[in-house]
Amino acid sequence: MITLPLQLIVNGQSHNLDIEPHLTLLEVLRNDLGLGGSKEGCSTGHCGACTVLINGQPISSCLMLAAEAEGQQVLTVEGLATDGKLHPVQTAFVSNGGLQCGFCTAGMMLSTVALLKRNPNPTEKEIRHSLAGNLCRCTGYHMIVEAVKKAAEVMIHE
Amino acid sequence: MSEHNQIGKAVPRLDSVDKVTGLGDFAADIRLPGMLVGKFLASPHPHAEIQSIDTTRAESLPGVHAVITAADISEKGQFNPASRFHAFLARKFVVFAGQPVAAVAADDLATAEEAIDLIDVSYRLLPVVASIEQAIKPSCTAVMHEQHGMELGGSAHSQEIARDKGDQPAGQDEKSPNVVDENTFSFGDVDAAFAASDVIIENTYTVPVVHQGYIEPHGVTAYWDRPDHVIVWECVQGVFAARDLIADTLGIDPTKITLNATEIGGGFGGKGEGIFGPITVLLAKKASRPVQLILTREEELIGANPAPHSVIWIKTGAKADGTFTAVAADILVDAGAFATGWIMTNIATMLRDNYRFEAWHLHGREVLTNKASVSSYRAPGAPNAHFAMESQVDEIARALDMDQLQIRMQNVIREGDMRTTKELQDRIGANEVLAAVADHPAWSAALPKVDDEILQGRGMSLGSYSGGSGPAAAIAYLEAGGKFRFVVGTVDLTGSYTALSQIAAEALGVAVERIVMTKASPDHAPFAPMSAGSQTIYAMGAAVLEAACDIRDKLIRHVAKDFEVRPSALALDDEGVYVVSQPNKRHTFSTLYELGTEWFAEYGPVAGVGSAPQRQRAPGYAACVAEVNVEPRTGKISLTRLTMFQDVGKAINPLLIEGQLQGAAAQSAAMALWEELLFDGAGQVRNKSLLDYRMPTALDMPAIETIIVEAVGGDGPFGAKLVGEPPMTVPISAVANAVADAIERRVCDLPITPERVWQALHG
Repeated sequence: MITLPLQLIVNGQSHNLDIEPHLTLLEVLRNDLGLGGSKEGCSTGHCGACTVLINGQPISSCLMLAAEAEGQQVLTVEGLATDGKLHPVQTAFVSNGGLQCGFCTAGMMLSTVALLKRNPNPTEKEIRHSLAGNLCRCTGYHMIVEAVKKAAEVMIHE
Repeated sequence: MSEHNQIGKAVPRLDSVDKVTGLGDFAADIRLPGMLVGKFLASPHPHAEIQSIDTTRAESLPGVHAVITAADISEKGQFNPASRFHAFLARKFVVFAGQPVAAVAADDLATAEEAIDLIDVSYRLLPVVASIEQAIKPSCTAVMHEQHGMELGGSAHSQEIARDKGDQPAGQDEKSPNVVDENTFSFGDVDAAFAASDVIIENTYTVPVVHQGYIEPHGVTAYWDRPDHVIVWECVQGVFAARDLIADTLGIDPTKITLNATEIGGGFGGKGEGIFGPITVLLAKKASRPVQLILTREEELIGANPAPHSVIWIKTGAKADGTFTAVAADILVDAGAFATGWIMTNIATMLRDNYRFEAWHLHGREVLTNKASVSSYRAPGAPNAHFAMESQVDEIARALDMDQLQIRMQNVIREGDMRTTKELQDRIGANEVLAAVADHPAWSAALPKVDDEILQGRGMSLGSYSGGSGPAAAIAYLEAGGKFRFVVGTVDLTGSYTALSQIAAEALGVAVERIVMTKASPDHAPFAPMSAGSQTIYAMGAAVLEAACDIRDKLIRHVAKDFEVRPSALALDDEGVYVVSQPNKRHTFSTLYELGTEWFAEYGPVAGVGSAPQRQRAPGYAACVAEVNVEPRTGKISLTRLTMFQDVGKAINPLLIEGQLQGAAAQSAAMALWEELLFDGAGQVRNKSLLDYRMPTALDMPAIETIIVEAVGGDGPFGAKLVGEPPMTVPISAVANAVADAIERRVCDLPITPERVWQALHG
């Protein structure tokens, strides 16, 4: 099997890898880097459970070849907390009941982080728009939306 | 009622921090050295005889470590041809497209997929039974090839049926071989009651097959660590049922299977005992390596166990003053290729149980077709039944020009009324729930202003579910540092460990932080029922409460002896056990742990047991008010407001309960408006991706208001009743009734698509 040398920058850390070129970013994150927080729910880009940020933009890592992420800044759920302190989005999801089973949560939070970066004070409609690529089957989205509002409120005052 | 310190608090799920930081192992997160990828060959045909399977090309592919077919199943394994779970690998016939025929274990996914393509199966195609209408014809091809007594596995919902059998089968002369369960429930003189009615409404309501839609697909990892012992990690709702399924089907001593439940990314009834455990265990045995099998979304949508399609013809009568008179119904339930033996009866018995009628005649048939067999989905059967009845109630009110809420209050079932099963109705909170609706502006306030061309509608519905009531046991012991560890064999789907911790803390008089709730395999935990049927808090909570009381009593006994006081002179607080009249005279829990674990101790390590049979059930009642906007030119429906009401007896954790109500609201509304597993005329699923199987997004859902009602009467811990399923029973019909209110026409087929609305308006 031909392998491909690849430099991935994940959560600020650089990794030099040698991968099979057909692997997706999600597969490499989970299997080669041991970052299991990003989940696979459909492998066709419809559920959003594998959402990670590439240079701040949410993408479905199940659809992106790992090779395409070469040299770009990849952020996964494992990189949200800093120095053992939860990101405000994480705190808001916890305190507002914005998660149940937790399978969609990583993707949901990363979409939220991207939203709040480009729009720090979103309306409810804008929140729902931005999360429409992330399916959740447990919550009915209500407490997720409330959590995003709470996170926005906290972050705008930081 | 006494003051509670821990019960009734909105405590966030105790595993929340793990879940927002990406910790917690779901099925696909299990990693073992040398682990192989498992993959099965799904039958492309809905109905065929397997003439031969040649695995030689697959076996010789480099990187393939095992290929299995039904021939590899030990003769010690039980086989009931009527059970979907026993047909985990097709034997002589395939009976639905997607049924596993063979499976491989290989070094990686690409190799496994290639190997699957190299398995040569010769099929003789058989006529496909693709619809209920076709299946019930006496001349129809039989889906089931070997008749066998229906003895079906471990669903929480099968327990209640044994005693709910109807009066008699309807005694037809010629019967289709595909009618596998038939029941009639009748009472009173239906004809006379209809004759005395002032209004009669008659309609046929259809509900399509829907998938539970959990975001995490089924997944299993199996590893034989010794020649006669296997360790399994599986995302299932019931570890005991999953273990026993593997033991039964493969002929393995259950104590030689360690079944670890992983974190579970949603189940909703669809991951009860698991389906794919036996295949994976067999692959791992043959490969002599750990094997992990994770379903793709397509495999999920084609071949897991969705919720059933039903066709319900129903006729209801009422007097001019709104009093209901009679109901007649003919219920057809498409079970897919394997019978459930209970789901039709569930629908039949639930159909009228929320309202008083003088007379009823309810005839139901469960029918086999060549589709994936169905299973539980959150309040199984209730959405099907309630959609029909709540639509009828709405139509009666409309015909009599009565208020929708008023007619429900007038006819709602009350304590002591006869249920369809001839049992008397226990005390319920239906009245309290309807009273809460009456008090809420969601029902009474004027609709918001919208553009003139928009049709606005508001609808309501009442629903209920009786749930399960499995026996459960729990063990508790005092731990190092003075914490209390509870070992339970239930799976935490809904935050139940958090609520169980609150129950334990309340009983002990300590803070929640002092409780450690430990999930255990059947190797370590006493029997626990499946996390299904809304029974976890109700049944497992009772066991945890008993274990907490047991350990508390033992601690008090030990301290009473130490201090030479009467047990009644002692009490517990978060620090330990103390003398009430001298609060400084105390043993901390930490000290008590040490005293019970050191050499020459006065007493042994402190442990408690709870074992609760929980024979009663505590039916939960719910109501929903929905508002919709309909664009008449396109038929497009927007769901603009949802308000949920539910009697929970005692709210152990309001935050988690609100989450249950909201989540169920979305799933139920989705059945009303969006979701349908589409089959072509040849038994093949057409929408096998999440693009085409349309689950609601954040953009489809409105904010969901939740009103928790606490009506006394539950005998669960601290008066708790079941929570998870009742809310599933209501939005489906509240939304349908709101659409009917908006367009002044009734759409009787779900989902209510824009096309169906347009047809109703203009067709």
